[in-house]
Amino acid sequence: MDENEIEIDREELIRTFLAEAEEAFVHMEQSLVALETRPGDDPLLHGLFRDAHTVKGAAGLVGFDAVRDLAHDLEDVLERMRKHTLAVDDVLITLLLRSVDVLRSAVAEAAAGATAPSQAALAFRRRLAQAAAAAPGSPSSGGPPPPPPPGGAPADEALTLQQPAGSGRSLRVDVAKLDRMLDLSGEIAIARGRLGELLDRGQATHAEILEAHRETDRLYLDLQELIMKARMVPIGPSFHQHVRTVRDVATSQGKQARLLVEGEEVEVDTAVVEYVRDPLTHMVRNALDHGIETPEVRRAAGKDPVGRLTLRAFHEAGAMVIQVVDDGAGLDRTRIAQKAVATGLASDAGRLSDEDLARIVFEPGFSTAERVTELSGRGVGMDVVRRNVEALRGSVAIESETGHGTTVTIRVPLTLAIIQGFKVGIGDEAYILPLDAVVECLELPESESGSPFAHGVVNLRGKPLPYLRLRDHFALDGKRPERENVVVVQHGAQTAGIVVDALHGESSTVIKPLGTMFKQIPGVAGSSILGNGRVALILDVAGILRETLRRAAARDAAAA
Amino acid sequence: MPANDDAVRAQYLSFSLRGTEYAVGILKVKEILQYEQTTRVPSTPRSVRGVINLRGQVVPVVDLAAKFGLGETEPTPFTCILIVEAVLEGTSTVVGIMADSVQEVIELGGDDVEPPPAFGTHVKIDFLLGLGKLGKRFVLLLDVDRVISADEKEFAREVASAEPPAAAQPQPEPAPRA
Repeated sequence: MDENEIEIDREELIRTFLAEAEEAFVHMEQSLVALETRPGDDPLLHGLFRDAHTVKGAAGLVGFDAVRDLAHDLEDVLERMRKHTLAVDDVLITLLLRSVDVLRSAVAEAAAGATAPSQAALAFRRRLAQAAAAAPGSPSSGGPPPPPPPGGAPADEALTLQQPAGSGRSLRVDVAKLDRMLDLSGEIAIARGRLGELLDRGQATHAEILEAHRETDRLYLDLQELIMKARMVPIGPSFHQHVRTVRDVATSQGKQARLLVEGEEVEVDTAVVEYVRDPLTHMVRNALDHGIETPEVRRAAGKDPVGRLTLRAFHEAGAMVIQVVDDGAGLDRTRIAQKAVATGLASDAGRLSDEDLARIVFEPGFSTAERVTELSGRGVGMDVVRRNVEALRGSVAIESETGHGTTVTIRVPLTLAIIQGFKVGIGDEAYILPLDAVVECLELPESESGSPFAHGVVNLRGKPLPYLRLRDHFALDGKRPERENVVVVQHGAQTAGIVVDALHGESSTVIKPLGTMFKQIPGVAGSSILGNGRVALILDVAGILRETLRRAAARDAAAA
Repeated sequence: MPANDDAVRAQYLSFSLRGTEYAVGILKVKEILQYEQTTRVPSTPRSVRGVINLRGQVVPVVDLAAKFGLGETEPTPFTCILIVEAVLEGTSTVVGIMADSVQEVIELGGDDVEPPPAFGTHVKIDFLLGLGKLGKRFVLLLDVDRVISADEKEFAREVASAEPPAAAQPQPEPAPRA
């Protein structure tokens, strides 16, 4: 890594950190004040803890050690409050509010170039340590109210939700793009004028008006697309900012690790980038702390002593997938199961399935670490990951092979994003397939078109190609036309044909989310609005294939 | 019953559904559209008519008649879509509900609203805020949030129940889930 480049990145990082820290501070202050009236409120406490944790992590990232240590001590106090072993009273709240101020000034000092913590900060850390070591608080007047039911009221949830950088967000846009937008809006003004004139005159033919309208429409869509595209930024910079983390963290732990980055050119909406920044930090730190082993252990296992951590991004089925892959020890299943039973997250260690384990890892407060380190072990990290990703209506999955490593996969929908789509028709409904899943198209051979079945196999240049009829798959009404078409799609190593009535060709497609009512429709990734104003569903090829296999398995099982 | 508050007079928009008059709080209604063809969403219950494009926003449309077990609606020139704001899982969501025709805006005081009868209406009692008295007529006051979120729950159940048969087959014992 070029030393120079790291320095440039660092400046950028510090700027980001300052904005992030200030935001966390404001949020902490709000939560603390709210805590005064609701001392036992779990969501508030969790939120506070997450904020402190985020500040600590980010401060470590930019090398503001004084801030990091302060935040660490603050965490100790919050941890006890979270476990309800420290009574929340106004003296404590005052101390915590004061600690936010001290953190603020520590950040300012560090940003101004101070490397050693100030005397005031050191003195304050001692006070925090005292508070953290205080005897399990005798309940102050009236006793602490009973903890509220887990989950809390919706209003509290909203308070604890991690919002990405709010005010003052900015995005660098190529001036040429802005010029083009301006041109387009000018053209739209002219086209609108023409349309208005035609309508005013009252004797224009229908065709003329329609033509003018189409022209306006086309220009408008161009403008919309351009604006959407301007919002798209490559994911690369978010990946690269971890180069330093990986090196520093690995060194501090006596480990060796290398960061590999794949798919840095993959573009996503700028809002998505903001949401995935925190989760990425937590996942990278987790992978280093829990995943990668020390060089001795790795050598003994016959692995390269230098651990590999891969950050990968790619588009799949209208979603962006981010993977954090390490080649470390993998999840320690026994330990997770034990810990889950011990903390009451599971009742029987023997009966935990892989999915259960993955779910438990993401529970707030869950950690297998024996001791709390600067890096992780408090069980906040994965909770932040899940929250931020779910805020984007995405999903997190974790796969792990003992001895070979762990892969955490985040899927986030490309909300607002544009994909190249391939439009197909069934009856009077239109569907859009992501173009990158489409390999080729052909007409369904006559021998097959009479077949009454939903599935079949055609010969594609000597190779068997299984196909499914989308009409039957989605149980749509209406009759099949005489001629049907096959769209050959690919997902991973799987190739299959999807039979549709008509092929309408490719086009840029603006993805719209389908909303809360349709959260998990198998085979549907989202929707888009067609030129005629109607909504078309965007298909999820992977989902359709999975569903087909599932149904086939069910049928076989029923027949057996 | 929140609607029973004496001093409060509230306005409702009434509409008819298979000859019965229903009403929703006017503050819930954002706009009324003429029925347009919807895009069906596969693997959803028949009461979810599909989605429409509302100025660039994709909005689900619920066929209330189908939901209340009165059969799917055949659109007529009077068929309308009421765009309402419902609270779904704590967040406000824009949803369209289909009506055979929109009637009028009515005003009801607390005294005009009776608690819903235990039976006799096509609608589950949970879905009703009460029965509005309008002269000699009764108007069924719908609790939009409940109607819509029931849809969501029912739908979630349907999706969930569609899964197990296949998934459970190969396994010797179905995994009990708490």
